[in-house]
Amino acid sequence: MTVSAHNPGLPPIIELNSVIKEFGSYRAVDKLSFTVAKGEIVALLGRTGAGKTTVLNLIMGTLAPDSGRVMVAGFDPFRQFSALKGKLAVSFQTDRLLPWRTAVENAELGLLIQGKPKDQARTIASGWLARVNLAGAENKYTHELSGGMRQRVSLARALAVDPELVLLDESFSQLDHVTSHELRQDFCAVAREYGKTCLLVTHRLDDAIEMADRVIVLGPGGHVKLELSLREAATDETVVGRTRSQIAAALGEDTGKQQQNEREE
Amino acid sequence: MVVVVICLLGAMEVSSWYVAEYIMPSPLKVARAIVALATTDYTHVLITLGRLCLAMLFAMTAGIILGLVMGLFGVLRSFIKALVVIDTGIPALSWILLAVFWFKNPEVRIFFILAMILLPFYALTIYDGIRGLPRDLLDMIESFRANRTQVLRYLIIPHLVPYVLTTTKAVVGYAIRMVIFAELVASAVGVGSRMGLAQSTFRMDQVLAWTFFLIVLNISLQAIVAGIEKLGLHWRPEATVR
Ligand SMILES: Nc1ncnc2c1ncn2[C@@H]1O[C@H](COP(=O)(O)OP(=O)(O)OP(=O)(O)O)[C@@H](O)[C@H]1O
Ligand SMILES: [Mg+2]
Repeated sequence: MTVSAHNPGLPPIIELNSVIKEFGSYRAVDKLSFTVAKGEIVALLGRTGAGKTTVLNLIMGTLAPDSGRVMVAGFDPFRQFSALKGKLAVSFQTDRLLPWRTAVENAELGLLIQGKPKDQARTIASGWLARVNLAGAENKYTHELSGGMRQRVSLARALAVDPELVLLDESFSQLDHVTSHELRQDFCAVAREYGKTCLLVTHRLDDAIEMADRVIVLGPGGHVKLELSLREAATDETVVGRTRSQIAAALGEDTGKQQQNEREE
Repeated sequence: MVVVVICLLGAMEVSSWYVAEYIMPSPLKVARAIVALATTDYTHVLITLGRLCLAMLFAMTAGIILGLVMGLFGVLRSFIKALVVIDTGIPALSWILLAVFWFKNPEVRIFFILAMILLPFYALTIYDGIRGLPRDLLDMIESFRANRTQVLRYLIIPHLVPYVLTTTKAVVGYAIRMVIFAELVASAVGVGSRMGLAQSTFRMDQVLAWTFFLIVLNISLQAIVAGIEKLGLHWRPEATVR
């Protein structure tokens, strides 16, 4: 099953070609193929256990595929692991900040690993903290920050390395609805302003619809169940509703109901 | 603390009325011995302190290196771990006796005894610390394509600092007792050997005076380590249990 690129004019940043990944005898990812073009924001949706994190690990290069091919910015992320230095940044489900570093020291971590001089890294990192509305909190330790602020530091840390590709694994799911909404807005604004390519993994339909240009729904068994472009749907209410139910159906009825409940709350 | 000290002094005073001086001297006599020793014999305290610090520094460095090797290099792990585990099982007395037979130089003897006793504490804590390394932080730092040195510098070493400090705090008191013991057997200078001398000449007041010095030494070293801990771990939130 091959899904055509969103923008065939540009070479894709992410390219998966019949990727299979098995854990023992369990096939978590089955002949998965999709591409993400430069500047696109793509949501990877799927129910729990569908293999989303596994796909992300394959793209990050922390896992090797059993067969098929994964390419990121023209490199094999597993075999050419360090070739992607500075080209890729990840924001995880939890903030994963180093508790012995202050906000700005955390935000500059990726830059220091890239080998940027200290003062330069500090300037860039404070700039990004300001851009995610954290000016003034630079010298706070992580335990002095709220969950939302910590997640912002983690985003700043990812964006500071000026990566071609940003991967987000459920980065907003743990926050309350208002904070999560705000943060999604902020993130999208920044990502679009700087033309970043983003792959965001989520199990929340609303996150996906709100942020993405395109949605890829991963069915159980790790293959693409539905693939939808959202650009034209974004303005029309009825189309949004239809898209929503279409995706919900692809995710499976339970999840659809669950989402509905979530919205009703 | 003050109450406890006053009670102890009172008990000493009262018992000194009834028993011979070489069993329990009066606090006043001990105080005089303290002053006398502090003016004439303070070099022995410094010698003991020097031996203690040197051996602890060595045990800390070597223990950290062994612990890192154990934690980071799978091939050597079981080998070194077996050595360390055997070492923890060897009583301090065995090391003291072995040192007396193996080495002539008293400094070498004491250094060897202390190093062998203290090293496994550090090696095992560091090993535990590495095993307790949060997987998610490791994945995070590797996602930035950090090399081994960078992982060590930005993640592993800062993560291990609290482990080293806690071990040092726990081990200081034990190390002081051990250095005294080692000096008593293996050397002619230092607080331990002085205490042996005082005991053999029935100077109970001096034995107690030396004990007083050791208590003070222990308290001040603990305070120093606690101070370093406060400086080094200022990022850590202090949890208070109600
Ligand atoms: N290291 C592993 N060893 C064995 N099985 C694994 C491993 N990692 C994942 N799996 C299995 O692969 C499947 C997909 O897991 P994955 O973590 O990718 O799901 P997910 O879509 O991210 O789910 P969630 O939304 O709950 O995070 C699961 O059934 C899981 O049990
Ligand atoms: Mg997951």
